[in-house]
Amino acid sequence: MIKSSKTVQLVLITSLLASCNKPKTEQETNNQKVYMRADSTAQYTDVSNQYKQQNSHGGGMGNALLWYMAFSHLGRGMGYASPGLHPNSVSGTNAAKAKAYESTKRGGFGNSAKTKESTAAS
Amino acid sequence: MKIKNLTKDPNWIQRVEALGYGYHTDNNNPYWIDHYYFSINNQLADKIYDATAELWQMCLTAVEYVIENKKYDLFHIPKYIQHHIEKNWENDAPSIYGRFDFAYDKETDQLKMLEFNADTPTSLFECGAVQWFWKEHFFGANKDQFNSVHEQLITTWADIKPHLKSDILYFCCVKESLEDLTTIEYLRDTAIQAGIQTKLIYIDDLGWNGRCFVDTEDLEITSIFKLYPWEWMVNEEFGINIINDINESQWIEPSWKMILSNKAILPILWKLYPNHPLLLESHFYSPNGMTNYVKKPLLSREGANISLIANSNEIYSTDGDYGQEGFIYQKLAHLHKEETGFSIIGSWIIGQEPCGITFRESDYPITTDKSRFIPHIIE
Repeated sequence: MIKSSKTVQLVLITSLLASCNKPKTEQETNNQKVYMRADSTAQYTDVSNQYKQQNSHGGGMGNALLWYMAFSHLGRGMGYASPGLHPNSVSGTNAAKAKAYESTKRGGFGNSAKTKESTAAS
Repeated sequence: MKIKNLTKDPNWIQRVEALGYGYHTDNNNPYWIDHYYFSINNQLADKIYDATAELWQMCLTAVEYVIENKKYDLFHIPKYIQHHIEKNWENDAPSIYGRFDFAYDKETDQLKMLEFNADTPTSLFECGAVQWFWKEHFFGANKDQFNSVHEQLITTWADIKPHLKSDILYFCCVKESLEDLTTIEYLRDTAIQAGIQTKLIYIDDLGWNGRCFVDTEDLEITSIFKLYPWEWMVNEEFGINIINDINESQWIEPSWKMILSNKAILPILWKLYPNHPLLLESHFYSPNGMTNYVKKPLLSREGANISLIANSNEIYSTDGDYGQEGFIYQKLAHLHKEETGFSIIGSWIIGQEPCGITFRESDYPITTDKSRFIPHIIE
């Protein structure tokens, strides 16, 4: 009796994920200043330190692509938000956006992963 | 069961990365092994299949025993979530997968269960996809592999689809682990192929609006697969919201998996099935007279905080952040050893069906996150 899958087709996983683990260039890992904001009316947050820390993870994600993915879409035409940024850099002068972002509480799950050395998988 | 060498493929990195496999190497140490493999025969594959099926049934009996006798304190499961576990269990809340880890003694031809990774097992993508494509690359259709993980995932999602509480199944994991992101995307990939509508959300971005969990667009969530341990969730800020949720969201894996993913299940199994050939003697509180044993934290992950004791002396141990919740004591198993290292066998059960194996190889007799993944062939 054959025990193997007859065929394996992947419709979602792509080489995009694999590219996340590419070694960073010297320019990317040293002295690079990175500023971000999530709204054109907002001030920028200096995230250089977080960016460097992320890049030092052996199998971590921290490159520009996945930083982008950490931004979430708020819907209703209000653009993006990221819990990695100071709230002032998320909504700026956009009051509706600030309300939508702040009315729901986030970040109540995920903290154990930040204090343990291992990943969530076992 | 023995190691066989292959001619090294100079393009192996490009080959596996083209599949979306980005964590094949960890700080210049290989995690994926491409140029050698375990050769096993059909008899061993059948033996692993039978052992996995039998242990799965034994584990379900053990969950029933724990719930009926309210043995939650042995597992350090918080009181507030215990009723949720019982309800999940009574309602047959859907479960997708788990991976048993076995020691195999070639001399006695005996498998022994080391533990059951029932909640957030790793190496699924490596097993179901990367290992299968590796077989196709080196052997084509000429050789077999104990690995129908991919097909079984799609079948299981299709079976579960009518029982989902909403049209959209959310998938969540932590933000900063490529391994976890790849695993969750692989699971989502197979769910999509089973006709399920899916959305990815990082667990840090899950919202609570005071009544229920919501996504980043404030849309209510009612069905969600999480690659995040239950024992972490129930001890975090949002844990209490699981029981306050007016939607009574369907979490996959279900909360009753908290019982099976805890090492406390090992002495429970030994109590229910004393001297069963697939089990290693295990006890709470003390080695109970054993002089060769392993001391394991109830909730350790990836081989952290494990001590190996031989002739009552500690011969090896690992560091980590676990152990505050207590330990169990398990008889030392005989691990398969080759020149390349010590190996254990991971055996997948997906939707009640044993369907694939993974070999993990280590320089030391404890499997950790540094242990290498070795593909296999049946021949």
